[in-house]
Amino acid sequence: MKNNLVKKLTAATLATGLLAASLTGCGSSAATSEVAGTEEKTVEASSNAGYRTLDEIKESGTINIGVFSDKSPFGYVDENGEYAGYDVYFAERIGKDLGVDINYVSTEAANRIEYLQTGKVDIILANFTVTEERAQEVDFALPYMNVALGVVSPESAVVESLDDIGADDEIIVISGTTAETYLTKNYPDIKLQKYDAYAEAKTAFENGNGVAWANDNTEVIAFSLENEGYTVGIPSLGDQDTIAPAVTKGNETLLKWLNDEIETIGAENFFHADYEATLLDTYGAEYEDTLVLEGGK
Amino acid sequence: MDKDILIEYLPLYKDALFLTLKIGWQGILLAFVIGLVGSAIFHFKVPVLKTIVGVYIELFRNTPLLVQLFFIYFALPKVGIQITAELCGVLGLGLLGGAYMIETFRSGLEAIPVIQTESALSLGMNDLQTLWHVILPQAISISVPGLLANVIFLLKETSVFSTISLMDLMFTAKDLIGMYAKTIECLFLLVVFYLIMLLPVSIIGAIVERRLRYGQFGD
Amino acid sequence: MDSLGIDVLFKGTNFLRLLQGLWVSIEISLISVALSIVLGLLIGILMTVDNKPLKAILKVYLETVRIMPQMVLLFIVYFGTTRVFGWDMSAESSAIFVFTFWGTAEMGDLVRGSIKSVPKIQFESAFALGMDKIQTYLYIILPQTIRRLIPLSINLITRMIKTTSLVMMIGIVEVLKVGQQIIEANRKVSPNAAFGVFAVVFLLYFIVCWPISRLATYLEKRWA
Repeated sequence: MKNNLVKKLTAATLATGLLAASLTGCGSSAATSEVAGTEEKTVEASSNAGYRTLDEIKESGTINIGVFSDKSPFGYVDENGEYAGYDVYFAERIGKDLGVDINYVSTEAANRIEYLQTGKVDIILANFTVTEERAQEVDFALPYMNVALGVVSPESAVVESLDDIGADDEIIVISGTTAETYLTKNYPDIKLQKYDAYAEAKTAFENGNGVAWANDNTEVIAFSLENEGYTVGIPSLGDQDTIAPAVTKGNETLLKWLNDEIETIGAENFFHADYEATLLDTYGAEYEDTLVLEGGK
Repeated sequence: MDKDILIEYLPLYKDALFLTLKIGWQGILLAFVIGLVGSAIFHFKVPVLKTIVGVYIELFRNTPLLVQLFFIYFALPKVGIQITAELCGVLGLGLLGGAYMIETFRSGLEAIPVIQTESALSLGMNDLQTLWHVILPQAISISVPGLLANVIFLLKETSVFSTISLMDLMFTAKDLIGMYAKTIECLFLLVVFYLIMLLPVSIIGAIVERRLRYGQFGD
Repeated sequence: MDSLGIDVLFKGTNFLRLLQGLWVSIEISLISVALSIVLGLLIGILMTVDNKPLKAILKVYLETVRIMPQMVLLFIVYFGTTRVFGWDMSAESSAIFVFTFWGTAEMGDLVRGSIKSVPKIQFESAFALGMDKIQTYLYIILPQTIRRLIPLSINLITRMIKTTSLVMMIGIVEVLKVGQQIIEANRKVSPNAAFGVFAVVFLLYFIVCWPISRLATYLEKRWA
């Protein structure tokens, strides 16, 4: 009978060992490439993940594009099960100009880098803000939208400055967004309440689980315009950033094609048309020039 | 794997472990209480309550914890019932666990020969005294392996708490991956911490099971 | 108060999509259970073999499954394997892999238990009759264990269906994710949709799992 326990212990130790070994196994291979390369972690990021070149995508006839499926009006699924929104409108154009079918992959904010690095999608078109940290992990194409951070709160208790946040108050953020990184870095004392999906965060905010919701200002402005009783107390926070498509690090053929594409369709004011088709209902005309970036400029 | 990153993340995982354990044990305690009360209701065949408990068991055993939590956390506030994420975690785990604990206690109670109840009653004890002093102590010790299996099951289930904004182990891993993309380090720490949390329970389970067998068979 | 959001389900193809999402979950479970039964029989027989290293490996396997939450395994397989081995597994195949990995361990343990409960004399008699090992298992031992295993594997189906709610986390659009999409698309017109949609998702899971688990209980009692 005593054997049983001993066996269990050995088994458990072995289990730990095996898992550790399988994980370190990879770590060491990444480490070697690090020595060969620079001190940057970028080598590790791009080392073992495969990506598909432009020709491979064309040959297969299908491109995998990661978009949000619960972030209206940028990327969502309408009542007929079709993807729609500002990002999706652009994705449709990419598919058309490449002459391939589009396979939309529903993504969460926190998965975006992961999806590219593991080659599970060819392009991320999911309101992806360009930041230095991210640029070390993935390659961004030319930008197509302006963005900063914003904070929305209920009209009854508007948050106008982050210094007003009480010690017990929580701000809602979405895991893996620039708002999360920014607040973690610059306001480490503010308590954050983090959600995976946009739909969850918004429902929780509506339910009054946090005093405010911090996110891209595009998104919080849209929320305050679409839902009664909310005000954007802080319309612009942190740096002015841009939103751009991203591809797997090193996928130069696809990156170059995307950059050319953005410049070409910029000449015909494509993103203004995109805005008018997808965002006008929400934002009205007044935000058109501040939000839209044409031809990467 | 990068050692510095492991060391940097370690405190975050430690906090997450404490949160997981805190909600975990409160939830399990609640499940235990529900289990005792529910099985007593079955034991005494209390009318109406018996049916309610029966429906409760079927509802919670046949739906995923994730969906239960979503309902409690996101849907109930729409009809005016607002609770915090932590309480929601405790409640969800307790209600789910309770449905399993009742069954475990019930089979423990059923294993006690009827003659013991009859003897206790003929000695002048009332129903509750009989249950409390005679039947329950034996039933619980019979149920211990089942209870520990439930504890492991429930502690594992805490991994879905991440969806209602609780910073448990799973959430910490997902969150760090989302922000800094150090996938391998994050997953490694995740595995290590689940082992730290669940291995002891599993080992205690083995010891207890062995002890109980001694008790039962004089082996 | 406005409506509780049941009405949004009848807009467009919303309800149909919800059912399609549910089918994704059921499909993954059924495939995984089928694989688990076949592999579980094999692993279960291996567990009864008297070979120390083999026993140790199987023990590690069982213990891993027992301790690690399925969600952790899903993350490791979906994100980890691509990085470590360069495999590109789709979310669906990762889910089926993890569920089969888990189901095989459970089935294996059950098979081992029921083989052990077959009296030793039956093996001896079969050998005495000149049957070899494979014949003994195929004609004598397994038929006796299978009847006991059927209710247990039906039970496993419901547990798998319930656990499929986690695959949302690796990007599979199943019933819960469809529910969120519907809530999001209708936030403006139906702010309380979260109640109706999540209540319906809860009931859908129940409607699917309840009859299956009743069947398992019934068979268990009948064949016990």
